Amino acid sequence: MAFEPREEQKELKYQELRIYSDDELHNYTEEELKNFKVKHPIPDVDELEKGPWPSFVADAKREALHRKKLADDRMLINSECVEDLLGQLQVSFDDGETHWKHGGIVGVFGYGGGVIGRYSDLQEQFPSIAHFHTMRVNQPMSKFYNTDYLRAICDLWEYRGSGLLNMHGSTGDIIFLGTFTEQLEPVFYELTHVLQQDLGGSGSNLRSPSCCLGKARCEWSCIDTQDMCYELTHYYQDELHRPAFPYKFKFKFDGCPNGCVASIARSDMSYIGTWRDNIRIDQEAVQAYIGGEIPPNGGAHSGRDWGKFDIQKEVIDLCPTKCMRMEDGKLEINDKECTRCMHCINVMPRALRPGLDTGCSILFGAKAPILEGAQMSVLTIPFVKCEPPYENIKEIVEKVWDWWMEEGKNRERLGELIQRYGIPKFLEVLEIPAMPQMVTEPRSNPYIFWKEEDVPGGFKRDINEYRARHKR
Amino acid sequence: MEEMKKAILDFAKSSKKTKFYFSDLEKAVQKVIPKAKAREIKKAATALINEEKLIYFSTGSSTMYGLKGRGQTEDH
Repeated sequence: MAFEPREEQKELKYQELRIYSDDELHNYTEEELKNFKVKHPIPDVDELEKGPWPSFVADAKREALHRKKLADDRMLINSECVEDLLGQLQVSFDDGETHWKHGGIVGVFGYGGGVIGRYSDLQEQFPSIAHFHTMRVNQPMSKFYNTDYLRAICDLWEYRGSGLLNMHGSTGDIIFLGTFTEQLEPVFYELTHVLQQDLGGSGSNLRSPSCCLGKARCEWSCIDTQDMCYELTHYYQDELHRPAFPYKFKFKFDGCPNGCVASIARSDMSYIGTWRDNIRIDQEAVQAYIGGEIPPNGGAHSGRDWGKFDIQKEVIDLCPTKCMRMEDGKLEINDKECTRCMHCINVMPRALRPGLDTGCSILFGAKAPILEGAQMSVLTIPFVKCEPPYENIKEIVEKVWDWWMEEGKNRERLGELIQRYGIPKFLEVLEIPAMPQMVTEPRSNPYIFWKEEDVPGGFKRDINEYRARHKR
Repeated sequence: MEEMKKAILDFAKSSKKTKFYFSDLEKAVQKVIPKAKAREIKKAATALINEEKLIYFSTGSSTMYGLKGRGQTEDH
C-alpha cells in the first residue's frame, strides 16, 4: 500500500512562525556593507570576491554584518561565527591545510544520519566556531517550496545556527551550516514538530532521494517522479535514518532521458523515464517547423540569427543511430533503433512527443571518483512499469540491497561491487537474463561471460563436424 | 532479539576497537547465531541505540557504531 501521512500537512504561515521583525531582517544599508571589515585579516579570502562569478564570501560578509547588527539576545550562537569562519578559512589558505576536525558522535536521538559533526582545531583563536555541525534537511519533492517555508527555516537557522545555508547539497537537501551540539535537538524538534520537515540522509544510509520536476511541470516526463520519490522516501525511512549499509546509497528519479537530476551520473540506482512504443509524430507540426512557423528548441537560442531551420542538418543528421529520414515530405522514425537521446524531441517539441506506453529504465552503479574513478550507471533493466505503490520496484531494490549488504566491503559503493563481481553475477542477483539493451553507455555493451549451461549445446563441439564447414 | 542484543554488546565490550562497521556487528552476531539475518541484526542494533547502550559515529560519508562510554563519547 502506498504511504499515507498520519495527519494532513498544515499550511505553514510565516507570519505565525517568524522570529525576526522586518527591521531586524533588513538591518544594514549597502553603504554600511561597503565599509564593513571582517574582524580578522582575510586578504586571500577577499580575492575570491573578484571575477565574474558570485562568491560565497560576498554572501558570508552580508550575513556577518547582519549578525553584528542584531541584538546579542536574538541569536543563540555567537554573532561572530561567520567572521570566525572566514578568519579560519584564511588561516587554512596560509597553512595549506584544513583546520576542521571532521566527524563524531553528534546527532539527534535515534537517527544515524542527517547531522555531520564538525569542529575547529583552532578553538582558542576562533571560539565561536569551536562546533560547526552541519544538518541536512530532506527537501520536498522537486524542491517545491514557497516563501513562507523558506523564510521560516531561514529564521530558525539564524536563531539557532550560523544563519549560513547551502541551497542545496548534491542529494538536494537544504544544508544548515554550523551550529553547536546543544542546538541540534531543538532544531530537530522545530523542524519536525513545527515545520513538518525531516532530516535527510548522511553516512552509510540511503541518502535523501531526489527527483526532477516530473509531471508537475514537464510534458516529457514519462513517470510521476515526485510520487515515486515520495513513496520510496517514506517506505525506506528506516534505511534513511538508521545506517546499516556498507556505504552511501542514492536513488534519483529522472522523468525522461534528458536527465535533469543527472541520475545516470549521480546515483547508485538511477530511474529514468522512458517509453516502449513509438515517438508520437504530428506531421503538420513537423511541416510548421520546416516552414519556420514554429521556432525550434521552444524558442531558445533566439538571441541570435542562426538562419532558417534545417531539419536535415539540425535533426536528422544528428540522430546518433541514424533512425530518422524524410520520405515523401513526411518524417519517419525507425523506433526500434531509437536510443532515447531526446535530441529530436527537444528540438521539435510540438511535433515529436514521447510514446504513451511509459515506464522507466533502471540503471545501477554511478558514483564520484573516490575509488576506481567516476562511473556512470549501467543500464540493467531496460523497461519496467511504474505504478503506485511500486511493489515491482521495491522488489528490485531489496534484491540489490540484500546482495550489497552481504557481499559489499566497508565503504564499497554498489558500482564498485558490480565491477568486482561482474555484470553476470549482478544479473543472477536480479534474476534477469542478459539482454542486448544492457549498455554501459550508448553503443557500448558490457562484456558478458556466458556460462556453459546458458549456451545451447554447451561449449563442447565436434571438431570434425566444425571443420567440415570451416576449412583451416 | 535479546540474544542478538547480548551478542552485540559482548562484542562491543570485548573488541580491541571502539568503533565498528555494521558488518562487524553482523559477523559477531552470526558467530553466536549463525542463521541471524542482517535485517534482524539491524533491528537489534537500533534497539540498543534507542536504549542508549550503543551510539552512532559518523564521519559524514560513512557511519559506525560504538559502545556508549567507551572510546570517544563526547564532543572533541
